[in-house]
Amino acid sequence: MDGYFYALLIVGLVSTILCLVAGLMKKAPNDPTIYSVLAVEVVLLVYLVGSIVRVALGEQIAGEPWEFWGYMLTALIIPLGAVYWAILERTRWSNFVLAAVGVTVLVMGARMNQIWY
Amino acid sequence: MTGTETNSAGQQPKQKDTRNTGPGRLLIAVYAVFALSATARAGYQIATKFAEAPLAHILSAFAAVVYIIATVSLAKPGRTWFKVSLAAVLTELVGVLVVGAISLFDPVAFPHDTVWSLFGRGYGFVPLLLPILGLLWLNKRRPS
Repeated sequence: MDGYFYALLIVGLVSTILCLVAGLMKKAPNDPTIYSVLAVEVVLLVYLVGSIVRVALGEQIAGEPWEFWGYMLTALIIPLGAVYWAILERTRWSNFVLAAVGVTVLVMGARMNQIWY
Repeated sequence: MTGTETNSAGQQPKQKDTRNTGPGRLLIAVYAVFALSATARAGYQIATKFAEAPLAHILSAFAAVVYIIATVSLAKPGRTWFKVSLAAVLTELVGVLVVGAISLFDPVAFPHDTVWSLFGRGYGFVPLLLPILGLLWLNKRRPS
């Protein structure tokens, strides 16, 4: 597990817990919950750029490269899709949708790490 | 649940023929994630190792289709889509129970994992929970 995974782990868990608590408090998605999900997206973008640089510098992905990039692209879509889906109807339930992003992306990050090494 | 809701404030009773509201939106989001991951997984398995276990991989593809139909139909309004949702969610429930049981009692028949193997243990048993929550939600939002 590399630094990218631990960044996803921390940011993802914080985002999930924040959104979960907001949902349990019957709040609609607001700036903190939406920004926490966007923070997950930012970590993924850093992961994407970092991975492109590593491959460009000659590092080999141990597993199937297209599987790694497939996970990466899917993970990049998830936070944006969830935010879009959440702000279409801003109820407490949308916060639970946002809460699902952090854990989902973190599981995908673990799988991406397995493929890479 | 009220207070912060801003949409459909003026017209409550007529709007019942939809499923993509409130907790339904969470349900649809989780279905969408499963549709995505099951499709990717089935595509990957069929592309790389179909010959090793054709039955398990056809089943993976079938599960992916069921999740896609469930996601789309739950998001659509109207009676017809309600029936499609019901059929998809029931198929999913039967699928996870049958495949789960077979994989438990006859692991040789299922050497390769599908989403439904061991009642969806590889996915935190969410595949088992999802159709149950789906049926509860469909019952609550049944078109009158």
